[in-house]
Amino acid sequence: MTILQTKGLTKRFQGVVALSDVDFDLEKGEIHAIVGENGAGKSTFVKLLAGIHTPTKGTYYFNGKETLFSSPKEAMPYVGLVHQDRELIPTFNGYKNLFLGSELSKIGLLDNAKMKEQCERIREKYKLNINLDKPVMELGTGQQEMMTILKILFRHPPVLIFDEPTASLSMQESEILFSLIKDLQINGFSIIYISHRLPEVLSLANRISVLKNGKKVITLENKGISEQQLISYMISKNLEAQYPKIDKEIKDTIFEVKNYSCEKENLHNLSYYVRRGEIVGFAGLVGAGRTELNLSLFSGPGKNTQSVFMEGTPFSSSSPRESIKKGLVMIPEDRRGQGVIIGMSIKENIILPNMNTLSTRGFVNKKKIDRFSQDIVSRLSIIASSNEQLVRTLSGGNQQKVAIGKWLGAGAKVWIFDEPTQGIDVETKSEIYKMLGNFAKNGAGVIFISSDLRELTEIADRIYVMCEHKITSEFKSPFVANDILTKMIGVEK
Amino acid sequence: MNKQKFTKVITKYGTMITLGLIIIGFSLFIDGFVALKNLANILKQIALLTVIAEGFTMCLIVDELDLSFANIACLSGIISGGLILAGKPTIVAIIVPLLVGFAFGLASGLLVTKVGISSLITTLAMSILATGLTYWITGGVSFYGEMPASFLMLGRGYFLGIPSLILIMIITVVVAHILINKTKTGIYLQATGANQEATKLSGVNTDAYKILALIICGVAASFTGILLTSKLGAANPEAASGYMMDTFAASLLGTTVLSIGLASPIGTFIGALMIGVLNNGMTLAGAQYFMQDIIKGIIIILSVSIASSQAKKLAKN
Repeated sequence: MTILQTKGLTKRFQGVVALSDVDFDLEKGEIHAIVGENGAGKSTFVKLLAGIHTPTKGTYYFNGKETLFSSPKEAMPYVGLVHQDRELIPTFNGYKNLFLGSELSKIGLLDNAKMKEQCERIREKYKLNINLDKPVMELGTGQQEMMTILKILFRHPPVLIFDEPTASLSMQESEILFSLIKDLQINGFSIIYISHRLPEVLSLANRISVLKNGKKVITLENKGISEQQLISYMISKNLEAQYPKIDKEIKDTIFEVKNYSCEKENLHNLSYYVRRGEIVGFAGLVGAGRTELNLSLFSGPGKNTQSVFMEGTPFSSSSPRESIKKGLVMIPEDRRGQGVIIGMSIKENIILPNMNTLSTRGFVNKKKIDRFSQDIVSRLSIIASSNEQLVRTLSGGNQQKVAIGKWLGAGAKVWIFDEPTQGIDVETKSEIYKMLGNFAKNGAGVIFISSDLRELTEIADRIYVMCEHKITSEFKSPFVANDILTKMIGVEK
Repeated sequence: MNKQKFTKVITKYGTMITLGLIIIGFSLFIDGFVALKNLANILKQIALLTVIAEGFTMCLIVDELDLSFANIACLSGIISGGLILAGKPTIVAIIVPLLVGFAFGLASGLLVTKVGISSLITTLAMSILATGLTYWITGGVSFYGEMPASFLMLGRGYFLGIPSLILIMIITVVVAHILINKTKTGIYLQATGANQEATKLSGVNTDAYKILALIICGVAASFTGILLTSKLGAANPEAASGYMMDTFAASLLGTTVLSIGLASPIGTFIGALMIGVLNNGMTLAGAQYFMQDIIKGIIIILSVSIASSQAKKLAKN
């Protein structure tokens, strides 16, 4: 019996198609896994199921009846979503969290004893080992996750969705989770399970659906499928974007990291290098540590470091400001939050880091500013009505160009780009690839972090793969995408 | 005792230990500090501060700010005094200003939750509005005159030998404590402040609880204004404005008591007590008024920074 079904489910965000025409069904009592690369549309899909987003098009059936959940609250009795941001009140203990919104009380006062007792009973039923008396912020991530699951089980929705539940769990905690999920299946729950980790998926699921670029590729019975087979369905073969070839010469090493460690970001003994004229790609899953590694270098590896070198001399820096002065520039992943100031104009954004050269004795030089910003706007062909236009009103691609443009005057020797093409239209993508190529051609080193394996293999000269905060391998062109993906996921062949 | 345990104790009881040390210090060096009568004095002095600060604590609990309470207290005191001197019954002189405080809280709450203006700006505007109304009513002068005993009872009377102000303070703290820790409403107020999104997703009308907190704050402010008029036997348009800073101080010190970083009714009471002890001790010691402010400022910074640095250490472990 089918408990949940979608037909032609489509979701667009400001014109960008995140999910298109997905037909999906979930049988009662089955574990149905969904796999796919980053950005394949998995999270969008489950958010539609759980009422967090509403579909642009398509229909959604629950127990055979057409349904529309317009808010998470409406979906709650039917679909329980366990996702990465745990929805707990950090200062409350277990049973207060569990009963939030449906507290038991006696003559107007909370009946703590009874709540605790009921909570214990559910905990016992699912054999979960959680301390219910401590504030949840004092529990480990594994226990917090169990608490979140317990909170959802408490409402007893027939469908449970797990979105990357093992992302922040240790091996041991993951094992506990798996046995819980199998237990839940026996207890009659229908489960949608989303994960990057294929071995997990293959050991848990009854059926597996593959998403790619917002479309469903195939649904497979989990009988005799191999990881390699799944991977071949997951990899995009789309040739939409143009990958410009730029003739450039790779010269000596410009930036090198030797046995670099950063306690705070849980990075230990990492090494890599970039040469003049080279684009070095960083592949890995979300949370593999690519951003953390490069951001911690940009934020300043410290004063007396003997592990980071710029042009052969030790690179000491303790702030982004100092790193920029010494020729290291980073264009962050969170464009709207960190890359640009969306409430300011194009011109203001571009001149912000260049005020020293654009002012005379502390006073701004209007002529210089206008000339400077106009020059960058036309060099990067930023499309806007005027340089005074607010960055908020620009398209994602043009915002990214502004984020890059503000550093053109800084004389960077090494550029770090963190997911520079995410959420950007195809044409602007090729322009950004061209920019990367030209920076390298002019003698800079370029570090290119991306979750789009296709663009990495086309644009980069060399690719490092990171997995669980380690650089696990290095690939040289020509690349074999399957090998890289295998390393990203951490599967041994 | 290992290091982590020590940290935990300091974090939890740091402010109370400081308070204890101050009391011991004052008792050793200042004659008459410990006398029972003086302690009763201190409690009487902090009674009004505690009542108004408990209201403000509700705002902190839902993670909003209120800058209007002191001026609402001034306005309410004036309205109350005006009504009583105009010969209206005591009950009217109490109910009407309370309704005014309720209305201010409700208006702020609606503006914050439904219109989406930040509480800082909303209540700043409300505070200016309240001041304007106060001066409109009074023309800038105080109201003096014969007030009936039934009204003066509130601020000057005794009940079972205990000053009524102290009783009112104790009742306020106990009621606030029970409300926050033992009722559904309290849980929702706390949850709204700690993680509004998650609370909303649990099916709680978080807007309603933000409004409620601002209303409680407004009503507590009005009540303080009425008590102050009764205590002084006169209504002065600026009588309550001094409560602004001491309320902030008491509530902020309160966030360093018991659970770090969180406002609580008991914490606020301890904070108010600390301020009362400091004021009283320094006055008895003959410190000049500006010295009191300087020392209060320093103690607040020290106490809060010790607690927050310890809390950071705890969070790391």
